[in-house]
Amino acid sequence: MAMQVELRVFATLRKYLPDHPLDRGVVVTVEPGTTVGQLITKAGVPLEKVKIVMVNNRHADLDQQLVDGDRVAVFPPVAGG
Amino acid sequence: MIVERYARNLGLPGWTVETQRRLATAGVLVVGAGGLGSAVLPYLVAAGVGRTGIVEDDTVEITNLQRQVLYDTPDVGTSKAEAAARRLSALNPEVTVTPHRTRLTPENAAGILAAYDLVIDCTDNLATRQLINRTCLELGKPWVHAAVSEYYGHVTTLRPAGPCWHCLSGMDTAAEPPPSGILGPVAGLIGCLQATEALKYLTGTGRLLVGRLLVWDALRPGWEEFSYRKNPDCAVCGNRNIPVPPAAD
Repeated sequence: MAMQVELRVFATLRKYLPDHPLDRGVVVTVEPGTTVGQLITKAGVPLEKVKIVMVNNRHADLDQQLVDGDRVAVFPPVAGG
Repeated sequence: MIVERYARNLGLPGWTVETQRRLATAGVLVVGAGGLGSAVLPYLVAAGVGRTGIVEDDTVEITNLQRQVLYDTPDVGTSKAEAAARRLSALNPEVTVTPHRTRLTPENAAGILAAYDLVIDCTDNLATRQLINRTCLELGKPWVHAAVSEYYGHVTTLRPAGPCWHCLSGMDTAAEPPPSGILGPVAGLIGCLQATEALKYLTGTGRLLVGRLLVWDALRPGWEEFSYRKNPDCAVCGNRNIPVPPAAD
């Protein structure tokens, strides 16, 4: 049965999800067993632009399998100072 | 020590003359004197940090002045490290400010960092952050990392026991250009948090942002905290026997 997860993008990754609301993420419907990396690709964010991944506010990696209701946050490399 | 100067420090709960004395004997190295450094440096010097070092080899450019509020228009074309040191010495002549007019390199990093108790990362590139991370691990020094881009900024504090910067950011060392735009007060806000972490560390006050990435998104707007742990397989810190300094978390 399909699941719904939330994807939030930060900093320069926002440009890949122009419909991303300012105050929350986008809800994506995925199949069970979908990984974080597959979610990011399905949403249209280039994986090579992603530096840090968090699931439910905890550090995760691209191979982590998602469960219904997960909240995924992805960050690009941020160099500015 | 001029008690009047630090009266509002000494009025803080838990802050004694001894606390202020600890600050006066401490040394902090700020790597980079741009948007983050413009916020970090005045607050450290004003609070009474005894020795503040500035690593910066750039000169002031007109494009800096939109956010790098440590500098004035007549400073354009002059050394940032020198201009910053002049401004900061005027702010608090009771402390020492040392400009290091150089880039941090693998050859000079250990020699410069060794003289300080804490390092603050205000750089504009990932390569220098990797160098700070590695050198701090080798020397057993804590550091405060931050980075900003557009309307976004984050901050976290790293201790030699880990997790380290690579545990959070992975091993990819691809160069990332500085962002084309940074909202000035976002850099100031994040820099103020770095200064706060530094003063807390040096005085043993409160908890630190160790293993915690604090994120500010000015568009949303909102703060959010994310946690990360030491990666036992980390190629940089994973198998090291790192000395743990006695400071409290």
